[in-house]
Amino acid sequence: MSTFKPGLVHTPVTPFKQDHSIDYDTYAKVLEFHIRNGADALALPMPEGEDMSLTDPELRKLLEFALKQVKGRVPVIAHASDAGTSIAVERALHAEAAGAAAIVSNPPYFWHPKASMVVEHLVRIGTAVKLPFYIYNPPVESVGTTLSTEIVLDVIKRVPNLAGVVDASLDFVFMEEVMCNGRQLRPDLQLIAGGDFMVSSGALGGTGAFSPLSAIAPRLARSLFDLCRKNQFIEARDTQESIGTLNHAIKSAGESGLRDGLAGLKVALGSFGRECGIPRPPVRGLGEIERGRLLEELAGMTFLKAEPRGW
Amino acid sequence: MKNFNLHGVMQAPVTPLKDDFSFDGEGFAKMVDFHVRNGAPAIAWPHHKAESLNLTIAERKLGAEIAVKTVAKRVPVSIFVGTLSEEDSLDIARHAQKIGADMLLTISPYCRRPSQEEIYDSIVRIGTHTELPVLTYNSPWRNGEGVEFTAELTKRLIDRLPNYIGMKDASFHSEKFLEISRVALKMRPGFAIIQGVEHLLAAYPLGACGSFSSSGAIAPNLCNKFYKSLVDRDWETARDCQFKISRLWRLFKEQYPSSLKGAMIMMGRPVGPTRSPLPTATKERVEFLRTQLEELNILQTEPHGW
Repeated sequence: MSTFKPGLVHTPVTPFKQDHSIDYDTYAKVLEFHIRNGADALALPMPEGEDMSLTDPELRKLLEFALKQVKGRVPVIAHASDAGTSIAVERALHAEAAGAAAIVSNPPYFWHPKASMVVEHLVRIGTAVKLPFYIYNPPVESVGTTLSTEIVLDVIKRVPNLAGVVDASLDFVFMEEVMCNGRQLRPDLQLIAGGDFMVSSGALGGTGAFSPLSAIAPRLARSLFDLCRKNQFIEARDTQESIGTLNHAIKSAGESGLRDGLAGLKVALGSFGRECGIPRPPVRGLGEIERGRLLEELAGMTFLKAEPRGW
Repeated sequence: MKNFNLHGVMQAPVTPLKDDFSFDGEGFAKMVDFHVRNGAPAIAWPHHKAESLNLTIAERKLGAEIAVKTVAKRVPVSIFVGTLSEEDSLDIARHAQKIGADMLLTISPYCRRPSQEEIYDSIVRIGTHTELPVLTYNSPWRNGEGVEFTAELTKRLIDRLPNYIGMKDASFHSEKFLEISRVALKMRPGFAIIQGVEHLLAAYPLGACGSFSSSGAIAPNLCNKFYKSLVDRDWETARDCQFKISRLWRLFKEQYPSSLKGAMIMMGRPVGPTRSPLPTATKERVEFLRTQLEELNILQTEPHGW
């Protein structure tokens, strides 16, 4: 199987203009920022890139744009997820042809199919391409299907190019079971933290991370990642707590029922001199009071002092 | 407030029953003693593993007395007071204090989908009703069911209750755990965050002090080795132990604790059947468990008999 190891993966936001169209000039700056600030790879557009709010043509164009801008300096992992299996398969094929380094896919959005159907959905995407394939377990609070250990084991058995699981469920039991049972079937199966909670994942043998907060605090995320790669989990606790504090402030700002933090993330980016507009509807931007509260909290986070301002 | 320095894989004994399903007090004393002799740093009873909700209040008091008497101060004893009715919880809490238990584990009454305010009120009533140190049981389920102690609620309870010393955490979730640990440990250093079931490797580096054990009934040596490897920062050994325990948990979690009791009998500790509505493990199930435990090298390396 592939030896592709993504390392610390940054997951860029998608900037929008006032009229909600994609702001490609700013997107180029976003990508350059991540490459300059320690991304081993990029994955896009992940939930922080508002993949669900983009149309199919936009998703394809965005990926092509990113690949052209990045020019092979770091691998780009393309996110191909949708409610319908054939739509997701086509998008994955497009990403492969366009030059992505790997594919990552969610279980189908919206539907709550039986486990065997989730397996079928993921197997169809994974076997359609030759690239390393990652499956993504969404956060526990998200709406739709999540992965069970059994689903993962079935996908491993049927998809020879399955490289690993990106876990955003943050569920200790899932991570344990996938590592101990999955590695019996595929000894080099990778566990990738689907978020900036790298200590728990790393302690269980995880080797990579998809890091949304690298958009704000790339130095902190890099330092946390490096400590975990060196098995210094106890020493990593302080840094993990700092990242946790930042995560909490961003996710709890605003009215999103999912606490997805999209609006908070863009406000925080603006306050660091990297204006990326507001999220697309139906996500609401922050009101003035919420915005003020978040900015005040960010200003109180002394651990952010060393982080880069501007582009 | 006495400082117990809770740490390690703490054992939560099952409740031995006779063949007619009645409470086996003599067997229970042996069970508790077995755990203490095999290195348990604390004893906690009656958790779900002990069929807590299928015991009468009188049985729970009797068991608490046997536990305290058998342990005889060798290690701390925690008594779980969670019930369907808060009146019963208060009653068990009074009794536990009277007989010399060391601390209480509590949750707001079951099956109610309580709001955060209701949980707060409930814990404050129990916590101010006793002079004993109190642990709470954080048991969030998906979709807002269960009883969840958020970081904010934990903070308020630490502010309100000087005897609130720790939490049994069954959220098993990096973000939820970190929210609680980073707030609670700053406010009250030594606040004991104890994993319910030993999903401990992911939580220990973030400040968990130990676990209430599920697999200790079968594999106390493995539990002790696991905790030692964490203290020694020997992550390779810790992963081996955690993955082995994870495989054990997959064997036992279904209709917990029926399979566990079946396996214990096979290892020479006759703890009897499981009370309805939980099933009792069948002969075929026990035979299957025997092959699995042999493959995991548990039968060969763990104590048999009392």
